Amino acid sequence: VNGTYDVHELMVCRVAAEVDEGVVVMGSFTPLAYAAYMLAKLTHAQDAYLVGFDAVGMEPIRLSFTGAEAAAYKGAACRWGMLTEINSIHLSNHGGVEAVSSAQLDGTGAINLSAIGDFDRPKVRLPGGAGAAEVIKMYRKMVAYFADHNPRTLVERVGFVTGTRWKVGREARRAAGLQPGPIVIVTNLAVLQKDFDERPFRVVSVHPGVDLGEVVERTGFELEVPDDVAPTPEPSERQLALLREEIDPLGTVKFDFVGGQERLAYLKGILDAEWERAAASVGVS
Amino acid sequence: MSAEKCIELEALPELVGDGDAVAFGGGWFANHPMAAVRELIRAGRRDLHAMTVVGSVDIDLLTGAGVLGHLTFSMVTLEAFGLAPNVRRGIEGGSLAFTELTGLGLLIGLEAQGRGVPFLPYRGPFGSDLPGRYPDVYATVDCPFTGEELTAVRAITPDVAIVHALRADAEGNAQWDGTSGPDVEMAKAAARVIVTCEEVVPRDTIVESAHMTKLPGFYVDAVIAAPFGAHPTSHIPAYGMDAWELMEYAIAAAGEGYEGYVKRLRRESEDEYRHRVLGNRRGDVLRALVGQAETLSASAASGAAAP
Repeated sequence: VNGTYDVHELMVCRVAAEVDEGVVVMGSFTPLAYAAYMLAKLTHAQDAYLVGFDAVGMEPIRLSFTGAEAAAYKGAACRWGMLTEINSIHLSNHGGVEAVSSAQLDGTGAINLSAIGDFDRPKVRLPGGAGAAEVIKMYRKMVAYFADHNPRTLVERVGFVTGTRWKVGREARRAAGLQPGPIVIVTNLAVLQKDFDERPFRVVSVHPGVDLGEVVERTGFELEVPDDVAPTPEPSERQLALLREEIDPLGTVKFDFVGGQERLAYLKGILDAEWERAAASVGVS
Repeated sequence: MSAEKCIELEALPELVGDGDAVAFGGGWFANHPMAAVRELIRAGRRDLHAMTVVGSVDIDLLTGAGVLGHLTFSMVTLEAFGLAPNVRRGIEGGSLAFTELTGLGLLIGLEAQGRGVPFLPYRGPFGSDLPGRYPDVYATVDCPFTGEELTAVRAITPDVAIVHALRADAEGNAQWDGTSGPDVEMAKAAARVIVTCEEVVPRDTIVESAHMTKLPGFYVDAVIAAPFGAHPTSHIPAYGMDAWELMEYAIAAAGEGYEGYVKRLRRESEDEYRHRVLGNRRGDVLRALVGQAETLSASAASGAAAP
């Protein structure tokens, strides 16, 4: 990507574009998703109603690994618990958007957060889906994001279905008592969208500088490729300034894009900065 | 049981028998009853059936210390610090029996037990492979009024729930001000309820802030003062998570040094643990994390970064 922004910043902006009015459930601290919600709330979606941890009706927060939870409560209008949240938001169809990531996602929109290999004796035991098994079908829009677009993650069929969208098409969703809305995938290469059960994901846009052929090659499921594929909009100066100066000055979002040996060191660097600030505030050297 | 329910942390394992099903409160890196977890390890409890909705270091530590015989969960993760190493090893190697439930299903199963009904229906995880794995937990039921096909989730019945509150009185009236996660539902579902808390306070203090009481005392069997009892997870607004200790944990759990990590926990009392990990004013810094946490005011939207 060019010198003016990084791909994780473009992804934050593109996920943010999916956030509109309505309830956004954030769950645990996932930096890219959190950054996108904050950016939306500070720009085009000021009526978005944010729920993070058990803090309901949050103000936007500055991101940090050790401060996100406390910040969520500081600006919240209401404090619930998990069961009230699921009963009042998910099961009653108030969930608007949540951006999720998973180990695998397939051409039907099913996700795997359970196991790679045999379920009982897996090669890799994954964390589990928490509420994803139920809620990704309930949100008005399902947004999935992946830092590394590759055919092992975006697979033809997931090895185990932790959760699915269940019904995708507008009429099928209405008939099932679900809010109509698409599945949108935002990766480091492109944006894909699925609007119909019986049709594949369609390439909505490819990021500037990315070759469309590479997107198709690195996707494990069939794609519909329109004749004209637009480039993904680049972040604006204002979005970049908000992200870098207000929302994520510590660089928590980039952590998911740092691999291998550098990963731990990168995380340590952020945590050192968080420690130093807190320590200084109470005169601990 | 008398209204005086306060006991010492050292007496907690007497309320938890080997083989019991124990629901552990908290969620994400927030509010897990870690002092209780450590005390169960010190007491050498075995073969527990742990239940968690979104577990982290609590469940991984119990697994690594050989306390668990079975794990029921909807997620266990060390988030930024990676997958939970001991849980991974246990399940991948076949030594840890497990039941992976869906998150809403697990909570609704607890709710069913708390309401005294054998199951509750909901619009379940249609299309997921999980319900088919556990026909003793999930079934299909038709709405008697509309005929709509729903998922029935069976009541989940922990023997014991252990939750960590901000404060409680001797009667067990327990208050939370931040993340309470599944704590209340677990307590309502369990046959015995243990509340650890940052401080035990007089009843008057509870009455003055009764809107914060999420668990009334009649549910509660034992109250235990456990300052920093959620450490290294957070207890908002008292302290933020100790990410530095969590990183140390994750590195130890993934590598060779893990036996030493558990041995040290077994050898020291909870007082000694607090002294070791929170010394040199570390506890003050963890408290300061809460003060340093920032919301972004409206000025951020219109400020320096104009279009």
